[in-house]
Amino acid sequence: MLVQQLANGVFLGAVYALFAIGYTLIFGVLDILNLAHAAIFMLAAFVALSLAGLGVPLVLAFALALVVAGFLGVLLDRVAFAPLRRRNAGTLVPLISSIGAAIIMQGVARGIWGPDEQRFPANALSTAEIHIGSLTVGALDVVILAIALVLMGVLSYVLRSTALGRSIRAVAADRVAAALLGVDIERTIALTFFIASALGGAAGILIGLQYNSVSLDMGARIELKGLAIIILGGMGSVTGAVIGAFLLGAVETLSVAYISSSYRDAIAFGVMFLILVLRPTGLFGKRALRAA
Amino acid sequence: MRVKSVFCAALFLAFGSSVALGAGPMTGKTVKVGVIADVTGSAGAYGNSQKNAYELAGDDLKAGLIDAAGASLTFDVQDAASDPNQVVNLVQKFTTDGSALMIGPTLSSEAKKADPIAVAKNLTILATSNTAQGITTMGSCVFRDSLSEEQVVPQMLVKMEKAWKVKTAAIIYGDDDQFTKTDFDIFSASLKADNIDVVDIKTFHKGDVDFKAQLTAIGEKKPDLLVIGALIEEGVKIATQAKQLGFKGHFAGGNGLNSPKFIDLAGPAGDGVIVGAAYYLGDTRGGNKAFVERYSKKFGKAPDQFAAQAYAAAQVVAAAIKGGATNSGQFCSFFGNMKPLMTVLGPVSFMSSRDVRADSAILEVSKGAFVPFK
Amino acid sequence: MFEFFAHHSKLIDQIGINALLALSLSISLRAGSLALAQAAFMGIAAYVSSIGAVHLGWNLGGAALAGALAAALVAAVLALPIGRLRGVFLAIATIGFGEITRIIAINWPITGGAEGLSGIPNDANTLSIYGTLAVVGFAIFLFGRTKLALAVAATREDESAARGVGIDVAGVRMGTLVAGAIVAGLAGALYAHSNFFITPGDFGFGRMEQVLVMCVIGGVTSSLGAVLGALLMTVLPELVRFLHDYREVSSGAILLGIILFSPAGIAGLWQRRT
Repeated sequence: MLVQQLANGVFLGAVYALFAIGYTLIFGVLDILNLAHAAIFMLAAFVALSLAGLGVPLVLAFALALVVAGFLGVLLDRVAFAPLRRRNAGTLVPLISSIGAAIIMQGVARGIWGPDEQRFPANALSTAEIHIGSLTVGALDVVILAIALVLMGVLSYVLRSTALGRSIRAVAADRVAAALLGVDIERTIALTFFIASALGGAAGILIGLQYNSVSLDMGARIELKGLAIIILGGMGSVTGAVIGAFLLGAVETLSVAYISSSYRDAIAFGVMFLILVLRPTGLFGKRALRAA
Repeated sequence: MRVKSVFCAALFLAFGSSVALGAGPMTGKTVKVGVIADVTGSAGAYGNSQKNAYELAGDDLKAGLIDAAGASLTFDVQDAASDPNQVVNLVQKFTTDGSALMIGPTLSSEAKKADPIAVAKNLTILATSNTAQGITTMGSCVFRDSLSEEQVVPQMLVKMEKAWKVKTAAIIYGDDDQFTKTDFDIFSASLKADNIDVVDIKTFHKGDVDFKAQLTAIGEKKPDLLVIGALIEEGVKIATQAKQLGFKGHFAGGNGLNSPKFIDLAGPAGDGVIVGAAYYLGDTRGGNKAFVERYSKKFGKAPDQFAAQAYAAAQVVAAAIKGGATNSGQFCSFFGNMKPLMTVLGPVSFMSSRDVRADSAILEVSKGAFVPFK
Repeated sequence: MFEFFAHHSKLIDQIGINALLALSLSISLRAGSLALAQAAFMGIAAYVSSIGAVHLGWNLGGAALAGALAAALVAAVLALPIGRLRGVFLAIATIGFGEITRIIAINWPITGGAEGLSGIPNDANTLSIYGTLAVVGFAIFLFGRTKLALAVAATREDESAARGVGIDVAGVRMGTLVAGAIVAGLAGALYAHSNFFITPGDFGFGRMEQVLVMCVIGGVTSSLGAVLGALLMTVLPELVRFLHDYREVSSGAILLGIILFSPAGIAGLWQRRT
């Protein structure tokens, strides 16, 4: 049973990690908490669902929805963050504007797709199961874990070894200095939003597929844990967020199995609280992205 | 809102004679019913079904399918956005704007904040989706047409035990939600009464999507029966994931799973789930056939139990008006003495506790539909 | 006038309670600490005061004071481990604390769990709510004229400089957290005593988010701003009720519009001119 539970924890961790990596990118580059990330996550899943419903092959629907999510992210930045950035409004005010933007997106989604939970067309999914000894694993779980790991790898590579990555890191480290060095700040920020939101969208679609469920509150219910993960990981640290995500998945699963399902979230937040008390700037320090 | 009712009144004056309101003894009488529903927010899926039902009831009044004896009956549906503060504000509105009756709110936890305000102003309440204990005891004119699970679960377990010789059971339920916690209380009491051994109890939180940790632990104990105390969003995923993890026992759930949505979402994984419920989609009594057809046509989906219980409330209200009730006191005494009335839920009347007396349905999910069990 | 009051007294009471909550948050934000535990403090006090009233027959005054005291005690204990945390790290640690508190409330039999606690005497009224608000507002006003207020502002603006001039930064932070908890506690007790019934869900992350929005919309550290922010955000959903299906979208758009128009909040509107 322990092996099965650990596997459950790993797959749950992959889901959290997917949600968190896009989230942490914006957090690291702009020092803002973007509470509309969860809304884009949800919208992308609905867009992919509608496309799949129209008969578009799932892979194509996935790709198109990512592009939509990316542009939504850019739009979000233009509307809700850029005007505040120009006026140096600090970190708390953009948090509120992102809440406003999230309420609007939620309302629009309710208007378009209605209030009910929906699922992808039945034939779009593999329900195969893999049995290894007493261990049962869904094929879809494995695919999602693989996609999550690939996306994390690609993001790390982009940040570390490409010109875009260097620009993003320069903007994250010091916006004024980056501008002096010739980095186009607004373009870099727009691209950051595009990538982060597309990643968030990918997470929404994959989670929608994995649990066979797309709903208006799918973002809200993962938002708080996602927030906990990225902050626990350290300001903008992709590695930290991933480790935080798998840690959370493991803590939740094992506390249900061996301690108490009723106190699962209390234990998870308790562990997070303790780690923060011991490491007040998160697992990977405050400026991790800048060193990447 | 004001604008809308003025507009409605104008429409009524202009077309009143030509619209098939059916002249009757109550022609010229106006009754406004205030409805509180969580159309948006976390309970939006349930409140929306309720709103749809009153919209359809409005159409059906005009079409003469619901007979209010010629009176102009309107349902003023207001969204409380799943926010208890808005619920409270709406009750206060309905106690002061000439509403003859209040229907709602959607959730029991909202009702416990809202109902006392209406009771203090002698506004009669008809709840359609509050299943917790202590709702109708809040006032001598607080009624509900929603069957409590207590009235369904015991007979359902007896039937299941007979069919399958159930000896052991495990329960998984949401411990942070009043509805699902009530489910747990009732199921565990009934299991105990039937000498079915509860081998494991696990909980989840509203909005969870991953239940594998709980279900793996439950699977180890190999219970004959898994009781699911959940609403459909979580219930579908529990049934699906349990089957994925190789759980071989039977499944049972309460009212929360009784929705066509359960079948849409669960697909083949839903098969074999037994649900104790207050409404059967395939019922042909009380105009249910027409209700299901018209609802499906108007909203593109079949009605769920929330919609049916709301529509039944509209039928009950119309019957009360036919019986001469136009104000809060008259509604209260009509409901209290009501002879069984045929509605989409079957025959409905109220007990002295003001809880509903209605048929329960024990349903099985089979090949993508709810069918009566055995 | 009287009729308006009779039709909207519940809304008026909610504004007063929310104003207390927004004030309570602005107290800890004044020292620059983003401690987001107001909903938890409110819940602790709501439960202590309600259980006292239901089981021990406490009157409103005693119940509210006991609730506020309990919230203050918890805040004082909480202040110790979170002393080194700043900014978002402090925010998430305190939000986590709030979630832990809510889950304990769900599982502890004396609270009634998810089925809630009913039978709470409905003895808080507009007079007691606004009386409390006036006292709290006056206390904040008096405090603003003391030297300690300067120490609080210095801690916010530059912590190391404040330490350099001999200000006990840790003490200031703990003091503002406890003071905020007392005010949130009073709000929680009044909330419970004007709603008949409470559940742990009343004091979750959603509530915390609402309070934060009120406070920032008001202008973060301005007391009058916090009160006006609470007024606006409480009334907004009722003001846009006539928009029916577009209510949600327009509420979001209005919130976004206000914060973009005046990033310094409502208080920024008059502060900019002076």
